[in-house]
Amino acid sequence: MAEKIGVYFDKSSIGPYFDYDELVEFVESKFGGLCPAVKAHPLLAGEDGRKMIQQDLDDGVIDSVLVCGATPRVDWEFYKFGNDVLVDRVNLREHCVLSYMEPDGSVPELTEDTPELLLALAKDYISMGVTKLQKCKIPHPEEIASSETILVLGGGWTGLTAALDASKAGHPVVVVEKAAELGGYAAKMFKSTPLTYPHNTAQDSGIEAKIAAVQADENIKVFTSATLVQLKGAPGTYEAVLSGGETLKVGAVVLATGWVPQSTDVLKPLGYGSSPAIVTTLELEEMAKRGELKAGAKVAFVLNTESCVGPEAFQKLEKCDEEAPAEAAKPAAEGEEEEAYVHEDLETSRHLPYASAVNTMVVLKQAGYVADNGGIAYVFYDHMIVPGIHERFYKAAQDKLGVMMTKAAIAGIEPDGDGVLVKAADTLIGEDLEVKVDLVVLPTGMVPATAKDPVMNFEYRQGPAFPDLDLFDGFADSNYICFPYETRRTGVYAAGAIRQPMMLDAAEDDAAGAALKAIQCLESINRGVSVHPRSGDNSYPVFNFVRCTQCKRCTEECPFGALDDDEKGTPLPNPTRCRRCGTCMGACPERVISFDTYNIDQIGSMIKQIHVPENMDTDGPRVLILACENDAYPALDMAAQRGHHWSPYVRILPVRCLGSVNAIWVADAMSKGMDGVMLLGCKYGDDYQCHFVKGSEICNRRKTNIAETLERLGVEPDRVEQYEIAIDEYDKVPVLIEEFLAMIMEKGPNPFKGY
Amino acid sequence: MAQRIEPDLQFIKELQEVGGESLKKCYQCATCSVACPISPSANPYPRKEMVWAQWGLRDKLLNNPDIWLCHNCGTCSDLCPRGAKPGDLLAALRNMAYQRINPLPCIGKWMTSAKYLPILAGIPALLYLVLWIISANFVAGSAFPVAEGGKIVYGELFYELYFIDPVFVTLAVIVAGVFFVGVRNLIASLKPEGQVLKLGPGADKSWVCCLIDVIKEEVLTHKKFQDCGADKADRKIGHMALFYGFVCLAVVTGLLAAGFWTQMILGWVGIHVHNPFHTPMSFANPNKWLAIVGAVLLLTGLVLLTVRRLSLDPKKSASNYYDWYLLGVIWAVAVTGVLSMLLRLSGVATLAFPMYYLHLIAVFMLFAYLPWSKLGHLVYRTAALTYVRYMGR
Repeated sequence: MAEKIGVYFDKSSIGPYFDYDELVEFVESKFGGLCPAVKAHPLLAGEDGRKMIQQDLDDGVIDSVLVCGATPRVDWEFYKFGNDVLVDRVNLREHCVLSYMEPDGSVPELTEDTPELLLALAKDYISMGVTKLQKCKIPHPEEIASSETILVLGGGWTGLTAALDASKAGHPVVVVEKAAELGGYAAKMFKSTPLTYPHNTAQDSGIEAKIAAVQADENIKVFTSATLVQLKGAPGTYEAVLSGGETLKVGAVVLATGWVPQSTDVLKPLGYGSSPAIVTTLELEEMAKRGELKAGAKVAFVLNTESCVGPEAFQKLEKCDEEAPAEAAKPAAEGEEEEAYVHEDLETSRHLPYASAVNTMVVLKQAGYVADNGGIAYVFYDHMIVPGIHERFYKAAQDKLGVMMTKAAIAGIEPDGDGVLVKAADTLIGEDLEVKVDLVVLPTGMVPATAKDPVMNFEYRQGPAFPDLDLFDGFADSNYICFPYETRRTGVYAAGAIRQPMMLDAAEDDAAGAALKAIQCLESINRGVSVHPRSGDNSYPVFNFVRCTQCKRCTEECPFGALDDDEKGTPLPNPTRCRRCGTCMGACPERVISFDTYNIDQIGSMIKQIHVPENMDTDGPRVLILACENDAYPALDMAAQRGHHWSPYVRILPVRCLGSVNAIWVADAMSKGMDGVMLLGCKYGDDYQCHFVKGSEICNRRKTNIAETLERLGVEPDRVEQYEIAIDEYDKVPVLIEEFLAMIMEKGPNPFKGY
Repeated sequence: MAQRIEPDLQFIKELQEVGGESLKKCYQCATCSVACPISPSANPYPRKEMVWAQWGLRDKLLNNPDIWLCHNCGTCSDLCPRGAKPGDLLAALRNMAYQRINPLPCIGKWMTSAKYLPILAGIPALLYLVLWIISANFVAGSAFPVAEGGKIVYGELFYELYFIDPVFVTLAVIVAGVFFVGVRNLIASLKPEGQVLKLGPGADKSWVCCLIDVIKEEVLTHKKFQDCGADKADRKIGHMALFYGFVCLAVVTGLLAAGFWTQMILGWVGIHVHNPFHTPMSFANPNKWLAIVGAVLLLTGLVLLTVRRLSLDPKKSASNYYDWYLLGVIWAVAVTGVLSMLLRLSGVATLAFPMYYLHLIAVFMLFAYLPWSKLGHLVYRTAALTYVRYMGR
């Protein structure tokens, strides 16, 4: 508990625009003994400034530190004074000085003569900062003795690489492979696309060496012909039950179960099945491996997939969309005993174009097999997708005498005598053409194993599979662009084709990345701190079960399935599954969930610190902005740094995630007489950007309830609005604030004002 | 109607051997066609030629007059993002055409590699050596005859009546015949890509009108070179200097022959006239001035074109043996010609006559092999330009 808060002003960050004596006096008179040291320093973010704070701490004058200066997003490492000293920041630079403008929209030249509204702004933020620290406790996380073992699911190229990488880092590894032999699809290939410089020739993958290395490694235990039947517990202390009956203690999991070939039904529009001379790239690879490719053969490779991805495929997807929420809603409404889990098959025709980059590379490789064997390879494509360095391979394939490529629309593929006739339109040759070939090769769709099967078989309240897999057609990762390898289950990291169709070189990088993530997870658990994205956070949710009504909102809404139920239906926390987003805290109507450094009372008290003038017409309205600290808050910082300004009537309060916003805060603000609340979160929906996956989506759902409550109270519901802000949309935020304020001005004061 | 495609891999290999070795690198972005300052907007070259070449579509390429529209400025190759050198490919196709449309294609083949140079040079060397020996024994009386006053007169040894004109007149007739057959073959093979509607007065021009227009508007003015862009000015000046150098020297030679034969024929009927162009001409003779102007133009053009070729970025555009053969022969003609004159004036017979002998070999190599060498474009490009003008492309 922060009882003696040192308040320090960094003049170098804020500038000469305040009378610091006045600010010091304000804090001293308002908080008295709570703030025994209140000082302004010309250069706080320097060795001298830091020494001054350290001295006050050493002398026992203060026990916690409040730095008023630049945004907390800078110098945060500089202001660390050990685990036992709470530190917080007040953003007087970006959110006061840099962004200040007069209510009429004019931007004054700031001088030492501080505008009244700017002073009021700074005082509110300082009061909020002191209150925040006052309501903070020093967390004492439980340090869990975690198993060092990493379970690798899948003994293919990715899994073997991950196993070797983890072993090299000193972790015991268990590899579980469904097939009787290790190696997966890599072992079935004739050649691999280039893996090494100069990246222009197909080469042996080296899978045999990898298998041998795994088998020779004493740190790696291999189970073949085995699957994971159940994964019990939580990261660090997982219990993995294998199909052979073995039970293993493991700490974290690398998921590398790869892909299965898509049903060839999808290729019927391209003539698959009408002739034995029409095959897939997978089948051709096997033919090449068996040495069955005829010398001098003429082969047409077709990369066009549009005709295969018809409206049917989309229908199937729409069906998924309808069913998924219905399934989720059922247990919530009824609370009955759950039915046996049925994994919906998420394979769609779209898995064919998803694999286009891989198929392009494979076709370039296989065209090489044909041309090097004295044959002619025609490559028809709609898009030649060669990622990154593989442009070199494309160039090399192009340079082969017997490789002919053209962008084209496929007009027909028909058996013709002992071969096949391929007709192409809109070609680069300038006219429609046809070629008679011995073999036609069609692309292979890659379906992630998780689209067909839960694979993980979690013993979690939220079910045995990853949630919301339908959003990604079964691919297992959760934050595709920003956080590769992460899944919706802490401690399980996806690598390879389970994550996106990829080739061996990318899978190798993936394997290393996922193995490192798994190790990082174990290294966080045994220190009692959070994994990414709140890496190192040592606070954790604390439940006051006395008041819990077993409503199960927290267990259902947790994006990471951290909460199970005990026999009575009370939430059963699994701290190592938790990522500290606070979604449970936002969900709880009884407000029984809190963090030592982030809780309902704390934020509520901060809101109460905002001075709301009684007369809106003379002193202006007040608007509270609850800003997601991952996207909206940095966007606001950037806006200020780049010369944007916003109304002096708003008060910004960062939250861990909009998912953590409890309705009571909005009620607090409205009852305090504030005229509006803006909720700034990230994008949600199919291409969500939320660090915690569901935050702003959940907030949006809860907002409907808030609106109903407000309406009952006679307050216009549109005084509370949620906005989606991406981190780079800094130019958009000031506009949103301006529009919102204009709306509030038109509406007039909050009817609760003055009560 | 879809066209059945049968790639000719052998043809691709041949193209790569005659200067199109990078053709497979093209990825059809069409930068070349957009960049070309003189390509027509309908079915522009050289993008389509690149894909035809990659696919080994022999017939399409050989029937294509567009390769003659290109004046080889190299802008397309400079800008090609893949280093596919489309300009070089078109040059290669023209080189291939010299072999294909002319009779005796073996002569064209001899021009593709240095290893055949002894054959090409050996023929005139042997011929003139024999003539030298005959003249030394039966006409001049000496291998290095010196006239009165120590003057050297090449005509004393290689007497025009017996040795020079019979050879070159025969050659001229043969070369003209070869060109005739070649032009007929060329026109027969051409199928223009795209035509425009011919409208208005003069729309139906005759062949002759078209030819005259081509010569007037394009050949004499080098208009296409102008269109190729200001940054290629050295190429235009070099080519024009060379062209007009040859024109001057052709006039000089024509006057020499005309003077000689007029005097000769009139002499047979008993009329004796003075030949104003009797060799060696004095420096007061206007025809000599023209000869010197021609030589200077020739050397200027040669220097400009050689420097340009040497400074080409090999990644953008490569010079092959075809290119160097022609430049080399013209250099030989010019250098041996100028040295012959200087040695003649210096009066060293033992050096002057061998030099003149080399000059004769060089001139023979230039003219006798004209239809098969790159210089064949003098006739074939003119013919193709006339054809496309006639067809309205």
